[in-house]
Amino acid sequence: MIRGEKMKKFNIELAVGLFVLAGILCLGYLSIKLGRMEILGGKGYEVYALFSNSGGVKEGSNIVIAGVEVGQVKRVYLENYQARIVFSLNPDVKIQEDAIASIKTKGLVGEKFVEITPGGSDKFISPGGKIRETQPSVDLEELISKLVFEKI
Amino acid sequence: MNWTFFIQAMFCLSLIFGMVVPGFSGEPQDQLRETTDKVLSILADPDLKSPSKAKERRERIQKIVDERFDWEEMARRSLARHWSQRTPEEKREFVPLFKSLLERVYTDKVEGYSWNKISFESETIDGDYAVIRVNIFTAKDQAIHVDYRLLKKGKLWFVYDFSVEGVGLVNNYRTQFNEIIAKSSFQELIKRLKAKSAQN
Repeated sequence: MIRGEKMKKFNIELAVGLFVLAGILCLGYLSIKLGRMEILGGKGYEVYALFSNSGGVKEGSNIVIAGVEVGQVKRVYLENYQARIVFSLNPDVKIQEDAIASIKTKGLVGEKFVEITPGGSDKFISPGGKIRETQPSVDLEELISKLVFEKI
Repeated sequence: MNWTFFIQAMFCLSLIFGMVVPGFSGEPQDQLRETTDKVLSILADPDLKSPSKAKERRERIQKIVDERFDWEEMARRSLARHWSQRTPEEKREFVPLFKSLLERVYTDKVEGYSWNKISFESETIDGDYAVIRVNIFTAKDQAIHVDYRLLKKGKLWFVYDFSVEGVGLVNNYRTQFNEIIAKSSFQELIKRLKAKSAQN
């Protein structure tokens, strides 16, 4: 009789423990998904590009081809006074050697993203490779000021 | 074979060479400077300034620019994915049309500006590719940033793309051509280019 009660108590404790564990696992999964974190490098591959002006592209900024998201910016840092941006691209997306990466703005003052215009070469950039052709973010303010001063 | 080690080794090697090359070279910059110097001397030539000589002046500038610009490479890159789908005849038809489009757009610009001077800002060489940053000063001393991208073929460097204030030529036409071909056809693009050159 006493032994049976002990078993029952033990079972309840086990069930509670399992529920808590499941809850923690769900939380972990959610935070990774929502934070777009990647464990163990994720499933994408990396390429990089050098820009004379990153225009404020950040980690997690979108990379698009024809408006379709194909990856995310993984890292942005300074190298030899140029912005070196590391892209993490979906494994099924192949980038030609003569593709052009340009930094664009959503709307007039929206967030920055990277657009890749595919090239025509039959050589593809391998993981860890470099997108040679880049276009920096266009500084509208600077352009307008140039236009203004040219007019005077 | 340990591939990561191999890739790392190649990367280190390319880094070392990448560092060393600009030190003793400057080849693409010298060649580009030669071209810009020639163009500037023609623009400054008082004998060629009169309107009656305008045609001769234009032809002489075009000839100099032709020697430094790789029109076919530019056309190939601008058509991008659509280039490989074209027949050799279509390619032969397209390149001169593309060239005349650019010439029409840019010789006006070149002749319209009274250029004071060109200063070479920096040069980056990476194997057979080079980027040269240039500031072109107008008569009002306004600097215009131009990036030339060059490709080495044999001993000579050829311009295959350039950007003005960060807006690239190939990327611009790549987007436009892609749109036209996607909406209608390559023949429509040829038709439009022909109509443009007939306007002249």
